[in-house]
Amino acid sequence: MAEPEITPELMRISWGPQHPMSGQTRILLDTDGEKVHRIIADLGFTHRGIEKVLENRSLIGGIVPIDRMAMVDTANISIGYVTAAEKALGLEVPERANWIRSLVCEMSRINSHLYAFGLQAEATGYFPAVFLWTTIDREILLDLFEELTGARWSFNFFLPGGVYKDFPEGFADRVVEGVNYLRNRFKDYWNAMIENPMFEMRCDNVAILEPKDALRLGATGPVLRGSGIPVDMRNEEPYAAYADLDWEIITEDACDVMARTKVRFHEIGQSLNMMEQIAKEIPEGEIKTRFSPFARAPEGEHISRVENGRGEMSTHLWTNGTPNPYRVKILPPSLRNMYVFERLAELSHITVADIPVVINSIDPWYLDADR
Amino acid sequence: MSRKISLPDFISSFNEAQKEIVESVDVFEDTRASIKAKKDKIIEAAEVIRDDYGFVIPIGGGAIDYPEENRMEMNYYLNNPDSDFIIIYRIPVDREKPVLPSMTQVWEAMSFHERETHEMFGIDFEGHPNLVPLLLPPDWKGGYPLRKDFKGEGVE
Amino acid sequence: MSIINAAFGNANQVHQNLAGILAYILEFMTVNARPILQVLVLPGLAFTLVFAIFAVWFERKFLARAMLRVGPYYCGGRSGVLQVFADFIKLFLKEIIIPSDVNWLLFSLSPVMVSAVPALALVLIPFDANWVMWDIGGLGLPMFLAIMGIAPLMPVFAGWVSNNKYSFIGSWRVAYMYISGEIPLVISAAAVAIMAGSFNLVDIVEAQKNMWFAIPQFIGFIVFFLGVLIESERTPFDIPVAEVELVFGWRTEFSGILFGFTMMAEYVMLQAWALLFITLYLGGYNGPIIMGSIIGSHIFWLLTKFLILVVFIVLLRCVFPRPRMDQMLKIGWNYLTPIALLNLFLVLAMKVWGVI
Repeated sequence: MAEPEITPELMRISWGPQHPMSGQTRILLDTDGEKVHRIIADLGFTHRGIEKVLENRSLIGGIVPIDRMAMVDTANISIGYVTAAEKALGLEVPERANWIRSLVCEMSRINSHLYAFGLQAEATGYFPAVFLWTTIDREILLDLFEELTGARWSFNFFLPGGVYKDFPEGFADRVVEGVNYLRNRFKDYWNAMIENPMFEMRCDNVAILEPKDALRLGATGPVLRGSGIPVDMRNEEPYAAYADLDWEIITEDACDVMARTKVRFHEIGQSLNMMEQIAKEIPEGEIKTRFSPFARAPEGEHISRVENGRGEMSTHLWTNGTPNPYRVKILPPSLRNMYVFERLAELSHITVADIPVVINSIDPWYLDADR
Repeated sequence: MSRKISLPDFISSFNEAQKEIVESVDVFEDTRASIKAKKDKIIEAAEVIRDDYGFVIPIGGGAIDYPEENRMEMNYYLNNPDSDFIIIYRIPVDREKPVLPSMTQVWEAMSFHERETHEMFGIDFEGHPNLVPLLLPPDWKGGYPLRKDFKGEGVE
Repeated sequence: MSIINAAFGNANQVHQNLAGILAYILEFMTVNARPILQVLVLPGLAFTLVFAIFAVWFERKFLARAMLRVGPYYCGGRSGVLQVFADFIKLFLKEIIIPSDVNWLLFSLSPVMVSAVPALALVLIPFDANWVMWDIGGLGLPMFLAIMGIAPLMPVFAGWVSNNKYSFIGSWRVAYMYISGEIPLVISAAAVAIMAGSFNLVDIVEAQKNMWFAIPQFIGFIVFFLGVLIESERTPFDIPVAEVELVFGWRTEFSGILFGFTMMAEYVMLQAWALLFITLYLGGYNGPIIMGSIIGSHIFWLLTKFLILVVFIVLLRCVFPRPRMDQMLKIGWNYLTPIALLNLFLVLAMKVWGVI
């Protein structure tokens, strides 16, 4: 990126990509002492051209590379693509497969939120204790993933028209067990973080994003819901089994870093409830609709919208009767939220010390912003 | 959740009220409205969509290339917190002279998406405040990667 | 047997002679070799190094438990004790990278100064009435505060000489933070001196024979403790080196053994302030006499208190996030300084009305 001009009385700090907290991106900060006047995001360090890669693969083959967009949240990424692909192929999903999809998506969402939560703790300056606790608790979910799908990270579990495998024996019980364990752990997190006065000091009234600004700047996911606007793709366009599950959109009205953290926290609790409900009430039946692997999608265009851990991901799929998709446009949540982050310095008072806290409350996953 | 706007109502009202600026309104997949504006009324139509119909959430934007028909198409995806459908606002682009008015004057958050389309498709957005490459390196000279005739030459 | 008896007397005599020799050596050492011992062992080199090594090891091993992991494991058995030595050797053998646009002399000198200046203050701490390395009587406390007042200049200097933006921000954070922390700390120390009626650190310790000053001056005790955390850059007040914000603050550019010196400076700083804290509030070297040796038990009690305090300070690290710079200044100026003044007036009032 060509660096924009800087006024002479400010100091420009290059934050990342080699910085303990920056992740795989670079942010330029124009600072005056501790005050940040302007944030410039320099994305693209992990650009792999996934949209181009998808054009050169078959419709089914695209499931593998698209997982690489956000490794911590693979299920929610791939369900977006798979939903679009099965619309293109005209496949129906059996009900049981939908429930299994919801289970895996909710586990993935907890995984993603726990990661964000741990990073948030580290950003406020906890010695990485809470981050490691969340890492260890994610192990429970990874074990469940491994048992169900055969892989811990990038499991390519969803197929157009269903899922790859059914529950192993006794899996539902182990899901309930894991849910109960995690519920106990969340009391610890609540006490160690949300109710810690020093944590409140760091997060209350920091980086306030008014609802009108959140809408105008295109915020999505927990950032938008942290500003009190109830937009959630699981409710807007219920995919998988969300229409049958008991849940509601979680919003917080404080609009600050704490509100976003609390939204994530309550969403984890709600996802746990959903996991338990699915484990107990999952209907019996088929898990996939068979189709030919050489199936060609007729000409047309299809849009799927799903809710990732980080917000709305829309996949626009054009097909033209060949095995490959003609074009896939992915609108990732992190790209939208990074723009919000760029503008936040103008909307509220942000200091250098706030930057890691704010960026982790936005929780961008640079790999999915860059694609 | 209360739903204020439904798609059929929107289509009928929009078609009638905005005859001067809109060329066509299509529906696909039941919940997506695809709007094409008249060529010289692009910005006006966008403002009408935003102000009169409340499509304030910019989901994003992206282009698609049709080399056989010698055209490209810029799509903007728009959402309204009170609607149960999204709008795809389509603007045809001449492949020989890919210049468009920038939609950042209407939806500020289209900035990143237009920068990305600029580097990937070579579409110039007039009036964009900061039209520099977003994802590609600043010294990229290998062409426009997402155009269909891109052969992967890389940096010269 | 008879030959041995002829040479050394009987077994009883042998024992007596040997004990006599040992006692003589001990007496000789503590009286005649005291300067050497003081330089090399107690407030000097060995104490500083052993403490730094212990503190690093404790911090790594026990904080690892707080994080549900194991910590150093392979060097020196499961305890990982030798890990610190291994790291020290590694740091010592590493290349020192000096940025091209800095003055190499100042750059390599500044980390040494950062740890040397607070180490200087250790000479004033009384480990016993007769074991003060530099006994300057009534100047003890002012001298200590003066030396520790110079110490913060060194990180500022080190950050400035590094010629790096992160170091620069870190070094000015140091400057702000020390000013806001040092003033309540000095005011609290003044209250202690008023209560003891002397600036002499030995007199202050002796005045706590019956009751530690932590009890009548509880407010000052708390303020001074927070001041110690601020001054020694311990969590939650490790703002100048905040890793997630400033990479490593004023330490960012140092590598190899220069970085080792900056790390050691943190512990030397903690050591000096914690020892003064114990001397002023926790009865210094006072404690029950054990094993008949007065000087030995005094040193034992001081070191025991010191270790407990350090363990407590280290464990604070896994509980608290760090405040922002402006919140830090607010804590220093809006809360600690007025409370310290209140404490000073209370002590003055007690002194005037003869309560103490």
